[in-house]
Amino acid sequence: MSNDFYAISIEPYSAIIIKICRAYTNSQEDFEDYYQEVCLQIWRTRNNFRGQSEWSTWVYRLALNVSLTMLKKMKNNSKYFTSEYLPSGLTENSQTFSDEALNHLYDAIKRLSEVDRGVILLYLEEKSYKEIAEITGTNPNNIGVRIKRIKERLKKILDGKVN
Amino acid sequence: MEKSIESIWKQGFLNSNALVAPKLNNLYNQKSIHLIDKFKRMFKINLYAIIVGSLLFLGISFLIGIPIMGIGFFLTLTVIVIVNMRLSRSLNKIDKSESSYHYIKAFDNWVKQQVSVNRIMASFYYPLFFFSMVLGFWHYHFNGKQLGEAITNYMILHYPGIGLIYGVPLFIILSVILMMVLLYYLGGRIYNWDLKVVYGGVLRKLDEIIADMEELRS
Repeated sequence: MSNDFYAISIEPYSAIIIKICRAYTNSQEDFEDYYQEVCLQIWRTRNNFRGQSEWSTWVYRLALNVSLTMLKKMKNNSKYFTSEYLPSGLTENSQTFSDEALNHLYDAIKRLSEVDRGVILLYLEEKSYKEIAEITGTNPNNIGVRIKRIKERLKKILDGKVN
Repeated sequence: MEKSIESIWKQGFLNSNALVAPKLNNLYNQKSIHLIDKFKRMFKINLYAIIVGSLLFLGISFLIGIPIMGIGFFLTLTVIVIVNMRLSRSLNKIDKSESSYHYIKAFDNWVKQQVSVNRIMASFYYPLFFFSMVLGFWHYHFNGKQLGEAITNYMILHYPGIGLIYGVPLFIILSVILMMVLLYYLGGRIYNWDLKVVYGGVLRKLDEIIADMEELRS
């Protein structure tokens, strides 16, 4: 991967890639694996990008798909014992960020279903409902309701009302 | 006042330095190790399956009265296993501590050598399997009579002028030789097909990884 490609096509979006990969992993090692895999897939599929959507949408979609695929692969392959199997409190990553409230929010997000995690991350990144639906492959009509439901659940988790 | 999740998110990342991207190095490190480990596991299982299968067949062949076939298969398969076990010794010598590119290239070279040795062997073992089958059935006793003898008697009865070599109809000898020659030529292709069925996915992945790595290095 040339430095130019990374600097122009990946680095400006590295923040969202990091945020997505953090939501699907519980350790620094897994996080780095996911991040590298996302970058690799962006580079490998760069010629498939037809410009029908924004490059950023393409990157979001790839980051989510790669994270979901890697999560599935690791779950299916019992040989690889990953941090995903551990309660987040037992892993090094539960205190990833210096902001404690953000750490709590991430811990709560990790307790959502895999697709809901993607939906709420995109919502928090201020993506439009249409874009969220497009990226996550869900019905755009239900996105609003779905986000409302996810937020309620997150609030309950943060308030300690859900075990 | 209690913060909304939106403000936790925004402020959290404003104050945080956690958005530092990890360095992209050794992109294929884990991937190559996993792929090669997977191949090694499959290769080992395959060899064990051949050993168990040949032993089982050897036993069954004695039980059902075709021991020559069982022995022929067993000996041929044993040679295949021994040769491949020797080849796998050099596979274990590949140094994992080398760079992932050199590691996977060394593995690729090993695969190529292994495939070429097995393809040559296939030209011999498929005719040998066939010959063992013919011999096995030829000596098989059916209704108190040897099947080969029954066939010979039948042919002599219906075609009195038929040529015999050591009591075996020339026509049958020529047919068996022809089939063995055909299998000698087709052995490599049958092996390629077998290779594709068993290791196709892994080998395809190996080619993809090498192509990617070479592009990344350029």
